[in-house]
Amino acid sequence: MVQQLLAYGTLILAVAFLLWKYLLPKSFGKKKDKGCGQDNCGCN
Amino acid sequence: MSKNINVALIGNPNTGKTSVFNQLTGLNQKVGNYPGITVEKKEGICKLPRGVKAHILDLPGTYSLNTTSLDESLVVELLLNKNDKDYPDVAVVISDVENLKRNLFLFTQIKDLKIPTILVINMADRMSRKGISLDVAAMEEKLDTKIALVSTRKRQGIDRLKELIADYKNISSAPNLDAKRISPEYFERLQRTFPNEDLYKLWLVITQDVNFMPIEKKRIQDATDFTTKSKEELKKLQHKETVLRYQFINNTLKETYKVDFLAAKGLRGSLDKLLTHKVFGYLIFFVILLTIFQAIFDWSSYPMDFIDEQFAMASEWVKNTLPPGIFTDLLAEGIIAGIGGIVIFIPQIAFLFLFISLLEESGYMSRVVFLMDRLMRPFGLSGKSIVPLISGTACAIPAVMATRTIENWKERLITILVTPFTTCSARLPVYLILIALVIPKGTFLGLSYQALTLMLLYLIGFGMAIFSAMVLNKILKIKSRSLFMVEMPTYRLPLFKNVAYTVLEKTKSFVFGAGKIILAISIVLWFLGSNGYSDDFKNAEHIVSERIEKDGLSTYSKNYIQNNVASYREAALADGMSATVLQDSITVLTEELKERAIAQEISSYKLEHSYIGQAGKAFEPFVKPLGYDWKIGIAVLTSFAAREVFVGTLATIYSVGSDEEETIKNRMAAELDDEGRPLFNLASGISLMLFYAFAMQCMSTLAIVKRETNSWKWPLFQLGFMSVFAYIVALIAYQLLI
Ligand SMILES: Nc1nc2c(ncn2[C@@H]2O[C@H](COP(=O)(O)OP(=O)(O)OP(=O)(O)O)[C@@H](O)[C@H]2O)c(=O)[nH]1
Ligand SMILES: [Mg+2]
Repeated sequence: MVQQLLAYGTLILAVAFLLWKYLLPKSFGKKKDKGCGQDNCGCN
Repeated sequence: MSKNINVALIGNPNTGKTSVFNQLTGLNQKVGNYPGITVEKKEGICKLPRGVKAHILDLPGTYSLNTTSLDESLVVELLLNKNDKDYPDVAVVISDVENLKRNLFLFTQIKDLKIPTILVINMADRMSRKGISLDVAAMEEKLDTKIALVSTRKRQGIDRLKELIADYKNISSAPNLDAKRISPEYFERLQRTFPNEDLYKLWLVITQDVNFMPIEKKRIQDATDFTTKSKEELKKLQHKETVLRYQFINNTLKETYKVDFLAAKGLRGSLDKLLTHKVFGYLIFFVILLTIFQAIFDWSSYPMDFIDEQFAMASEWVKNTLPPGIFTDLLAEGIIAGIGGIVIFIPQIAFLFLFISLLEESGYMSRVVFLMDRLMRPFGLSGKSIVPLISGTACAIPAVMATRTIENWKERLITILVTPFTTCSARLPVYLILIALVIPKGTFLGLSYQALTLMLLYLIGFGMAIFSAMVLNKILKIKSRSLFMVEMPTYRLPLFKNVAYTVLEKTKSFVFGAGKIILAISIVLWFLGSNGYSDDFKNAEHIVSERIEKDGLSTYSKNYIQNNVASYREAALADGMSATVLQDSITVLTEELKERAIAQEISSYKLEHSYIGQAGKAFEPFVKPLGYDWKIGIAVLTSFAAREVFVGTLATIYSVGSDEEETIKNRMAAELDDEGRPLFNLASGISLMLFYAFAMQCMSTLAIVKRETNSWKWPLFQLGFMSVFAYIVALIAYQLLI
């Protein structure tokens, strides 16, 4: 039971992260203009 | 009472603005020994004497206020717009003591805007070596300003600069040059039409669109009774302004700036002759490249193997120690494998950036730009496109942003479109692991095949960028080409702090940027790989046992048992075990291995019928002609999020449901295709590497291209064109090699 809870919790976190990262419109829920200046690969 | 003042750091490129900014604010923005490092404005706060708080702006380098490109126009727009929230109360012009004459041009222009302007003469530490002596007091008087002699290297002069900024009210804001001298008649007329405007500011506004985009131009057109001059006439006047300014500057420097050439220890001239030589220059560059790739290969393979083993052990340990259950499996097979897929690349990423930053900091990178410029001219590209292409070896995102220095829009667009072909650091992990698997270890003329392959891949990427730029150039037709002037910064001993900082920062941004994505994808993949809806998935045990009863074990399992038994026999014989005992123990071992093999077959059957397996099988026909199986197909697909995901994906897929924890490399080496040959062989390996070399697999780059081009058209074009091209090349390579 505990195992299931932990496992599915992790899954939800991972999916939420990916959705937030790739599918959400840019302005929503993120700091605006992080100024992904020089080095920030994967910024946005 | 605490006041808040705006301070803008302005200056020619590569004069050390960002270095001064970092020392004033305690921040750590990127510094590098070539022009065009900063392309956006950066802000920071600095506490000054007497309770003054300053809001400091670091700006892109600009040669003058007659801008020609996007990054430069940022500076002009700020200085012309009094209502801008960042409009400076005081401007600090940073100059480089070795190029003072050229630097002062900008200084006089800013001063003429009637903004209190402080002059920083940076790199004071180089004065004695170059035999330069300054009469600061006399210069202050001539320029009607305050000067801070600074060396950010030696941390000298920053306190005086802070004093001067805090005391900005006492800095004269009188102009150096009376604008009317440019053309008395014309400026008289201007003054009459706009009695309330500042003359020099007006002049800059009028001339902006001669070179670039119009700023507030409308206001001038609205004044109907004023006829402005033709472009040609305006250009002539601008030219006159330049002459007047240089007269003033020469006059100033004549008495205050002395260079004793005998005292100057100048290796630079002869070194530059060699490093930019028509033949030796390229030869040296080639040797340097090879050394770098060889080193990346040699040095990073040990830590990589070590890390790989540690993670295999860690998941074994988790499996054996934690109570059995779904989370334990997820941890051992998904999460640890995923993290392993990130950490294993830390050594090479660190080495790559170590070399890149050494090249940048020493000043050699500018010589490379010069060499490349000469190479590309015949192809109709200007050297300004080279800087982004070269900085693309780190990451395409800053490289795409670096195109802001290109004034010609079409040329900029072409550079943006082809930059993702440059081999970025995300491809390195994929290349390294594939090369280690499929390229033999031997050497050719003392150079290892593996390092040569790696270098070839880098050259292919660069070559492809140039080639497609050429093609696009023909299609899109650029009329005027950008003006390009390679500036040769002086050679400097790389500062350990800067190098270390870059390496650390890049590695960190890899681990926490790409790493999060790799981990999340690994977790999701693990779930998709260990669950399924079909009956085949649910009845896997039953189906596989029946099949084994009928047809026996698979070739893979048979090999697995044979190999294990053979190595056991060898070891036992070496130990001097007697024949009968050996026979018995082998029987036991074989039984054990058989059981394991059956379990393995069940889990791989399950994997094939899991969600991911079904998706992969559906996708397999597309990648089969390239020599990949469905698992590689899935890894290729997930890599469209970011290339680094490739290895992590394979690691996760291979470890789903397996009992034995193995290193990623061994697992990949053990994969067989339908005919029992290693799946990762020369043909499929090269095909994969070529696919990764050309395909546009990076969401973040697409997003940045959209931002920079302001439309989805170009990123989609890039995605389509590059991926189709990659597919075709990979297909041809596989079919030729197999
Ligand atoms: N010798 C010496 N080198 C310095 C000094 N200050 C900066 N540098 C070096 O000069 C180079 C350029 O420094 P940056 O601070 O990136 O210059 P920048 O003006 O911000 O450059 P852009 O953003 O490209 O316009 C770097 O290699 C610095 O390490 C100094 O006082 N002495
Ligand atoms: Mg800078």
